Amino acid sequence: MTLTATNDRNTVSDVQPTPGTGAAGLVAREVCAWFSGRLVLEGVTLAMPRSTVTALIGPSGCGKSTFLRILNRMHELVPGAQLAGSVELDGTDIYAGRLRATDTRRNIGMVFQKPNPFPAMSIYDNVLSGLKFSRISVSDRDALVEVSLTKAGLWNEVKNRMRELGGALSGGQQQRLCIARALAVEPRVLLMDEPCSALDPTSTARIEQTIADIADEVTVVIVTHNMQQAQRVSDVCAFFLAAENEPGRIIEAGPTDVIFGSPTDERTSDYVHGRFG
Amino acid sequence: MTTLAPTSSSTAAPPLPPTPRRIGAPLRPRDFGWADAGILAASLLSSFLLVWVVFYQVTLLSGIFGFLLCWYAAFLALYWVVTTQVVDRQAATDRTATVVVVTGAFLVLGIVAFIVGWVTWKGVGHLHTNLFVKDMSHFVPADRNVLHQIGVLHAIVGTVEQVGIAAAIGVPVAVTTAVFLNEVGGRGTRIVRTVVTAMSGLPSIVAGVFVYSILVETSVSRYSGFLASLALFILILPSVTRTTEEVLRIVPGGLREASLALGASEFRTVWSVVLPTARSGMITASLLGIAIAVGETAPLIFTSFGNNNMNVNPFHGAQAALPLVLYDFVRQPQGALIDLAYATAFILLALVLILFVLARVLGRQRSTSGALRARLRSVLRPSARSGGSENPSPVGGRAGRPPLEILTVSPNPKEPLLP
Repeated sequence: MTLTATNDRNTVSDVQPTPGTGAAGLVAREVCAWFSGRLVLEGVTLAMPRSTVTALIGPSGCGKSTFLRILNRMHELVPGAQLAGSVELDGTDIYAGRLRATDTRRNIGMVFQKPNPFPAMSIYDNVLSGLKFSRISVSDRDALVEVSLTKAGLWNEVKNRMRELGGALSGGQQQRLCIARALAVEPRVLLMDEPCSALDPTSTARIEQTIADIADEVTVVIVTHNMQQAQRVSDVCAFFLAAENEPGRIIEAGPTDVIFGSPTDERTSDYVHGRFG
Repeated sequence: MTTLAPTSSSTAAPPLPPTPRRIGAPLRPRDFGWADAGILAASLLSSFLLVWVVFYQVTLLSGIFGFLLCWYAAFLALYWVVTTQVVDRQAATDRTATVVVVTGAFLVLGIVAFIVGWVTWKGVGHLHTNLFVKDMSHFVPADRNVLHQIGVLHAIVGTVEQVGIAAAIGVPVAVTTAVFLNEVGGRGTRIVRTVVTAMSGLPSIVAGVFVYSILVETSVSRYSGFLASLALFILILPSVTRTTEEVLRIVPGGLREASLALGASEFRTVWSVVLPTARSGMITASLLGIAIAVGETAPLIFTSFGNNNMNVNPFHGAQAALPLVLYDFVRQPQGALIDLAYATAFILLALVLILFVLARVLGRQRSTSGALRARLRSVLRPSARSGGSENPSPVGGRAGRPPLEILTVSPNPKEPLLP
């Protein structure tokens, strides 16, 4: 089945977001993706078990980020984007016609490569922005802000600067603010698209610590170009590769220690040992 | 002056601090010495004399503008030649180009300063209290004795109402159009953009005649201030739309993605993220539109018509406006009325200036009312501002923003501060 990018986006529905809270498992089945008719991702099947950290690795242009954006329906925002296959959040296909993209994205949050706090909002408002957008009311906003920022490892640095604009923070702090913002809506899965690639080693270490801390309550899927990082933070690892003029595919997926220790495919072995890519 | 960072301090403390030296060649204004000024002045003078001889005495040409142009061209050539004697050719070309650029800047600045200065000089002396509190109901053009008894309050009220209504309709429509063009997109984008571009070339009198012919001539409505607002609305719409669209275009796409990824709808994304981020640019866009509307005269002749009496109701009856009154005064033969015209022009300029300052102040501070009060307080008490700038935070305390301590003086009650 091929879905066009826009046909179900604005479906009015009275279906509530997938019930349940806490971390949820994601399963992608036979996912293929096109940009303007060009196949960029083919036959990707991958299980991202509940409360684990899954790392997507592979050279540039092999479809990791596209796959990540398919997992929370950001793919369809690109004009001309098309999709086949299904993505199941705890057994419910997020691309089923009755579900709204906004509900899916609330359950499956995302952190981007470049820190992007909302520049017109204070740190405090940035954390609460997801709730404001979804018109969710919270009894104790201050407590939620504190909890979210603590989870993201930023609370101690900003607790006296709540009214400053988000843009006044350093790059690493901004990225942790974005993580706090994503966590404040209590997603069940958190997708991270190279969250540390624009950061210094200290900030990277803070964010890796954050990932380890939150993995219990939210399933994490992270795209990274850094092999050591994938090895450090992930439980499961999937290696993507695209041959020249061919769509990206998963070459090998499995527990991280197996992928890095004794991969079955020679290309995986070459990649994780830095022989290409 | 460019200073180099001191080199490693691992050795023993040097007896003298390193002397900073200049790097890079460009001549900056602060390096502009007497010798440079001398070359400039000498080039100006000798090119003047040379062109004067050639232009008026040898070729018997006439006209001041031709002379000025030739003088300027000769000055540039001479300046370049003289400068090459002091520095190398590349630097001379660089300095000559600098002179051209600076001339352009001063020309624009000079024209604006001249217009504002001239109107102020001619107008301020003829301002009197009656101008601001009376209308022109007793106005008789031939009677010099009533000139001090009349005022333009009715025109001020008319202009404020007409421009206010035009902006109140025009800015939301323009922002909506810009959001459509930039955020929604789709098939209609190209045609809407073409229409908006075409509208920006519309002569203002056509807008007035258009409103006149479909509403007044067909007896749908009589002359009124509101009709003037409609004509002005047509005139400001394209400008505000295009400027707002440009502003929305520079909002980073990453912010939209971040908002959508948090589960926001596209409407919420535009409303809560894109528009607030572009707010100060949008205020500038609205200002440009209002500035266009305030000065328009031609469309008003057909729509609000003008009125010597006070009419505060913009929806009923002919209404005065400052440009119309100005136009009336200037066409009268008496010098006293020309003086009044300058005073009126000064009021018009002051009105525009007040609007600009107001919008700038509103545009700079953040939207919460608590922050507005805090900003006012920090403006009124400069000492508080300087005290706050000792904020020890490494990246806070950006120039031009009130420091945090002042912002937290009166927090918005709806958003309690954390301890």
